[in-house]
Amino acid sequence: MAPLSLYGVSNSLVSTLLLHLAAVLPAPLSTLLSNGDLILLLSVLVFCGTLLGASLLNTILLIWFERKMLGRFMDRRGAMHVGYAGLLQNFADGLKLFRKHTFRPQDADPLGFFSAPTAYMVASIVMFGILPVSTGWSAGTLPLSLLLALVVFSFAPLFIFLGAWSSANKYSLIGGMRSAAQMIAYEVPILLAVVAVVLLSGSFDLTTIVNEQRNYWFWGPLFLALIVFVAGMLAEMERIPFDLPEAEAELVEGWNTEFGGMLFAFFMLADYARALVGSYLIVLLFLGGWTLPSWVPAPLTNFPLAGIFWFQVKTYLVFGVFIWIRASLPRVRTDQLLRVGWMRMIPLSLLSIVLAALVVLAKCLPVFGCLPSMGS
Amino acid sequence: MEAEEVGARLRERFPDVVVEPFPGTAGRIRFPAARLIELLTEVRDGLGFDHLGQVGAIDWVEERELFYTVWSDRAKQYLFLSTRIPAGEPHLESLTPVFPSANWHEREACELVGITFDHHPDLRPLLTPTGYQFHPLLRSFRLHEPEELEVKVRDV
Amino acid sequence: MWINMGPQHPMTHGLWNLRVKIDGELVLDVDPEMGYLHRGIEKISEDRHYNEIITLMDRTCYVAGMAWEHLFIQAAEHALHIQVPERAQWIRTMSEEFQRVASHLMWYAAFVQDIGLMSPFLYGMRDRDLVLDLFQSYTGGRLTYEYMRVGGVRNDLPPGFTDQARKVCDWLSDRFVEYDRLCLGSDIFHRRCDNLGVLKASECIRYGITGPMLRSAGVARDLRKDRPYAAYGQVDFEVAVADGADVTGRYLVRMEELRQSLRILRQTLDWLDRNAGPVMAENVPRWMGAPYAPVGREGYLLKREYPKGVGFSAIEEPHGEALAYVVNEGGEHPYRVKLKSPVFVNIAAARQYLVGYRVADIPPIMGSVDVCVGEVDR
Repeated sequence: MAPLSLYGVSNSLVSTLLLHLAAVLPAPLSTLLSNGDLILLLSVLVFCGTLLGASLLNTILLIWFERKMLGRFMDRRGAMHVGYAGLLQNFADGLKLFRKHTFRPQDADPLGFFSAPTAYMVASIVMFGILPVSTGWSAGTLPLSLLLALVVFSFAPLFIFLGAWSSANKYSLIGGMRSAAQMIAYEVPILLAVVAVVLLSGSFDLTTIVNEQRNYWFWGPLFLALIVFVAGMLAEMERIPFDLPEAEAELVEGWNTEFGGMLFAFFMLADYARALVGSYLIVLLFLGGWTLPSWVPAPLTNFPLAGIFWFQVKTYLVFGVFIWIRASLPRVRTDQLLRVGWMRMIPLSLLSIVLAALVVLAKCLPVFGCLPSMGS
Repeated sequence: MEAEEVGARLRERFPDVVVEPFPGTAGRIRFPAARLIELLTEVRDGLGFDHLGQVGAIDWVEERELFYTVWSDRAKQYLFLSTRIPAGEPHLESLTPVFPSANWHEREACELVGITFDHHPDLRPLLTPTGYQFHPLLRSFRLHEPEELEVKVRDV
Repeated sequence: MWINMGPQHPMTHGLWNLRVKIDGELVLDVDPEMGYLHRGIEKISEDRHYNEIITLMDRTCYVAGMAWEHLFIQAAEHALHIQVPERAQWIRTMSEEFQRVASHLMWYAAFVQDIGLMSPFLYGMRDRDLVLDLFQSYTGGRLTYEYMRVGGVRNDLPPGFTDQARKVCDWLSDRFVEYDRLCLGSDIFHRRCDNLGVLKASECIRYGITGPMLRSAGVARDLRKDRPYAAYGQVDFEVAVADGADVTGRYLVRMEELRQSLRILRQTLDWLDRNAGPVMAENVPRWMGAPYAPVGREGYLLKREYPKGVGFSAIEEPHGEALAYVVNEGGEHPYRVKLKSPVFVNIAAARQYLVGYRVADIPPIMGSVDVCVGEVDR
């Protein structure tokens, strides 16, 4: 049996539905419905809708997860009252924000002010189409999907800065500047850490990278790169201890001070979508993606959708670590953050590249023999 | 340090000040307003009362009193100083050159009791709103008696 | 570029405005603007008789109500020549120390939030609630108590109070270890707070700064020790001192003060267990200090004869040295009440310890000053 894939499911669903309809309906309509292009178009739409809906639901679940976890760390219960254990609280909050009046400060530039949240949102959720969550569960197998993902991921600061600048608020502007400085500073070590992964796996394709981790996950040989990558991701996600752009103690809410209602909801949701994507990336690059070690008993890996299940478990564990960090660390200062970024992270990531190269070399030494997983 | 000792140490340079005992403190000095800077400098450097606690003002209708509380960490005691100035011409030298911490105390006394401090670096109102015309801590500023309040009832 | 940090701003912890001139992230100049919370307490006091002013004192500093009650009551008793029974003195001492614990816990909660630590904020608030519960059990109020009276205190402690209070003390002393581990154990905390907002001892004295800020500069000045009032002369404790003169130093001083407060509290609770007695002076008119304050008809109809006098008191409030000066001219009300708040002076010197640091440093520094706007504006 071919592995279950989201596109395959939606394709067979749409074609079955249309063919049944065509059998019932009269002639001109039935020929139209049984047209192959239409089936293709509709199945792509269904595929996209399902992926988008599932990803956003997952994001909202992530917010719930953070609220509950953070609550427990703080000796309280978190959201409790809407839905079972507050599961529907985020929907209630979203509804409240949706009903709010959307306004814009008098001096704000309307074009930038209104387009920034939308653009930020789009740039964040496009990532869900690029990252594979299991074999066959991505929009397509691109040979350079890792590069594309990183490019899209690093697009967002532009929109943050756009929103901050156009909202004509001093706090927003400072927050936007900090955000831009921080993300540029941490973009470089992240990319260098990724280079180490690419060296070890020999591919830019995320699916291949995960498949390369069948025998051993990359966090072992690339521990240094993992540290750099996690720290960089914390900075990219703007989470404590690196949440300076929205440091509420001094900057009120940083770059999204002036945004309210649905605009704020967009920013908020996109922020968590980025957090989810960041956790996805860590799982994909370092923690073996949807694969499990071979000693795991078969019943745990054989059930339907096992890949997705284990992928999400890993993702939430990674995000749980982020929540833990958020609950227990104070915020650093901008200059300290940038100093760490340029002076510590980049040398570390360069070192990790050297280590990755050494690992690759070592595997090809006659003493060890080329490991079969290295492929070419 | 007792009031007599303070008086003895000040008598030579300041024959015009009166030192009287004040329970719980090293005494209270009454001095003419003109000798403020001189006396406070002597109290700070000579007697060791180097920590200004507060500057307060009282309105005695015909005249206004300014009192200063200073603390000595060596003697572990407070010392009170007070001076009176005529209400008709309520101004006085600022203490900020001697004790920088007098700055805000004097701003407060200026706006609440209406005393002008000469050579004060920044005598803007501190607590009352900008443009507020009154000096609330003057006796002439009456609070409303309960029966004087007009209660407006909305027509139903 | 001037930016307004306030009057609605997370840094202010109250209602005031810190105008900051910045160049990029660097602070070039600051200008605190106060007065948003000015209620004219000194003026209203001229229109109230002595026990009515206690209500205002609670509102002077809304996180240290007991301390301000104590301050005013002492000055009033000084002015009216009233002697207070010993048990009332000890209850006041205990109340002030509990207030110090509550106020410092509130400070801890707010301060860690300023440097971005999220969880300890709730720990601090949670533990402060225990102290407020104790207050509620013997005064009826959690924030504004109206408990002290001229001549003593309103009512004696309820039965079983001291055991409950001891339990709270034990719980708190365990928690303080956790607090320290969360802050001092973190490298980021030290990077944020060491050598920040430095104000050396000589500068502190020049600018009249008192309280934990002065003690963090190495000056062991504490009115409870230097000029003992109430029962502080009979309890055994040490003055908390640090030598950094920076934000970390102020943190250390306050945490040590919390421990010393528990030490004082245990002693006062023991004393209160052993010694019974009246809690209200005999020579006070009934309307002035009766339980539940029936200051109604009877009180107003009585002709009041106060001796003329001037009262002065100084206490070590949680934020520093607080002074009260009460002038009594024989009328029904004090002629003038002058209150000096330690925070008033500490904020006045803001330029000395803020300029030259970064925008991100302002919240920790102002947090370490422990601003209570109520007592600044009065």
